[in-house]
Amino acid sequence: MQLLESILYDCIYHSAPIILCVLGGMFAYKANVLNIALEGMMLNGAFVSILSYYFTGNMLVTLLLAVGSTLLYGYIFAFLGVTMKGNVIIIGLAVNMISTAVAGFVLVMLNSSNIILENFDLNALKINIPIIGKIPILGSILSGHPIITYISFIMIFLMYVLMYHTKFGIYVRVVGESEEAAKAIGLHTDFYKYAAILIGAVGCALGGMNLSLERLGLFTNDMVAGRGFIAIAAIYCGRGKPVQSAVYAILFGMSRSLAINLSVYAGNAAGLFDCFPYILMIAVLAAASFVKHKNVKVRGF
Amino acid sequence: MNKKINGAVRSFLNCLIPVLLAFLAGAVVIVAIGENPLEAYGVLLKKSFFTSVGFQNTLHYAGPMILTGLAIAITFKANIYNMGVEGSLLIGAFFAGIVGANLTGLPSVPTKLICFAVAVVCGVAFAMIAALLKVKFRADEMVVTMMMNYALAKVLEYLATTVFRDSGNGYVCTPVVSDQAMFVRIFGKSRLTAFFFVVLLFLIIMWIVMKRSRLGYEVTAMGKNFEFAEAVGMNVGRKIIIIMAISGALAGIAGAGWMMEDQYRYTLTFSGSPGLGWDGMLIALMGGHDPLGILIAAIFYAGLKTGADSINMYTNVPKEIVSLIQGLIVLFLAVKFIGERVHLAKSGKKRKEA
Repeated sequence: MQLLESILYDCIYHSAPIILCVLGGMFAYKANVLNIALEGMMLNGAFVSILSYYFTGNMLVTLLLAVGSTLLYGYIFAFLGVTMKGNVIIIGLAVNMISTAVAGFVLVMLNSSNIILENFDLNALKINIPIIGKIPILGSILSGHPIITYISFIMIFLMYVLMYHTKFGIYVRVVGESEEAAKAIGLHTDFYKYAAILIGAVGCALGGMNLSLERLGLFTNDMVAGRGFIAIAAIYCGRGKPVQSAVYAILFGMSRSLAINLSVYAGNAAGLFDCFPYILMIAVLAAASFVKHKNVKVRGF
Repeated sequence: MNKKINGAVRSFLNCLIPVLLAFLAGAVVIVAIGENPLEAYGVLLKKSFFTSVGFQNTLHYAGPMILTGLAIAITFKANIYNMGVEGSLLIGAFFAGIVGANLTGLPSVPTKLICFAVAVVCGVAFAMIAALLKVKFRADEMVVTMMMNYALAKVLEYLATTVFRDSGNGYVCTPVVSDQAMFVRIFGKSRLTAFFFVVLLFLIIMWIVMKRSRLGYEVTAMGKNFEFAEAVGMNVGRKIIIIMAISGALAGIAGAGWMMEDQYRYTLTFSGSPGLGWDGMLIALMGGHDPLGILIAAIFYAGLKTGADSINMYTNVPKEIVSLIQGLIVLFLAVKFIGERVHLAKSGKKRKEA
């Protein structure tokens, strides 16, 4: 029972940053801009949030700096990709490389291979939900997460509303589905693409902040470890639909939680468990793509 | 003729401007930390291009990157985004290293050939997973290869720490390859080995494949328009598998070569940071997916890499500045600064007259 509880708790814990990344990234997917810079943006969010908390110790300033700097990356991406019409895949890879390089450079300047916040009370960030927290099993699973983790799950529904029940969401999808049609009815297509990319940046910044500051209070340069790409895989599998994509993100969180919790029993082979979430994601993506294309009569890729 | 020269000048400028912009941005950062950018760049260029030993070292580093550059170029040119080159390189290097360490009875040349063969098989097998998923299931190759890189890194880390670990060593590594599997330094002082000439051989082969063969033409056609390629009767699925196999093989050879000429054993930092496969991507982009361009870009970029160590040694600028410049080069390369419509020099005027 103890094991099951900690598996489910960890599932929520590991899902949250990816859900945020997915929710941000799916707007770009719907606007037909392939944003593979999610990884780099998330790393930047993780890095800047730890760095600014290290120097200021103020949560609000930290939040603003983390989101602001990630928006800057998003703006660069959007400017080069949308306005200058560059190859978005290459720009995305470049953003990933640059954010790693910047973090690495600053770490060297600080003479350290990581930043650890000392005297930082992680438990103070955990929120205990008043009534649900008291229910025996459910309470220990659902209660005691940091605030961004809760926000991420609430955002699934808010983003669903934004995507399907507002003008903005419809216009973003129109731009993605048929740019000519969008232009014909007088939409500023570039504006919606910019907006979609920038929403992604905010999501990644929050996800990164959750990953480094709220959960661990430390930053290392390899801590994002492909979560941005997992988010992209989740978006592909869920075809950019908020709830479905989030479910795939949770699936990854679940597999990661299983890998960590069960590796205790695996002895020497524990190291192999780490690759399980990635392989699961490949399998799921393959299956989802197969189902999607099974009934397509048109040839081609 | 004018048009051809125009195109050449345009692609040269489209390559040069991003490099200059990236160096300029790097200079701003160096000034910001209170150092002299001219001094740092001077050391970088002098040590890696204008001394004999330095230039040979540069060629040595360029070797595997030329191969990974070619491996990326042939897939990217066909609009297949194979990010698994780094993975193919690592898996090829790892098993070439294991075989090389256990193979002691044979003479030098067969030993090396067997190691290369093992690396090719492993590299191709790794690339094949993504290729088959793409062709059979239409799974996006970029996401799949990216995931596989992470999964592979974990698996190799596991193998290096348990099954194949060299227990005599304090840190995680596999046993050293046998003497027969090692490439000897030609000139003693510099690190250059005969592997570089193996690389040049593959460069020539790939030049023929990409420029003079039917496959090369088909790759270009696929890159321009998938539907068109399908419609004129090309079996695009089969082509994807062939292209990915070539890519995996080249990456495997690069990995085995790097193992046998420089590292001699697999460590967790075997391919460096950001890794030879990722360097190859930058080189392919800089070289415009053209074999000759890749050769020049690889030598230039290897110069940056050797220069990074010199910067670290002779100035107070940390060598991470080079990875920053690398990222910026890729960023600026994504944008064509001089588009098809900009006419340079003479032919532009002629058009106006006409």
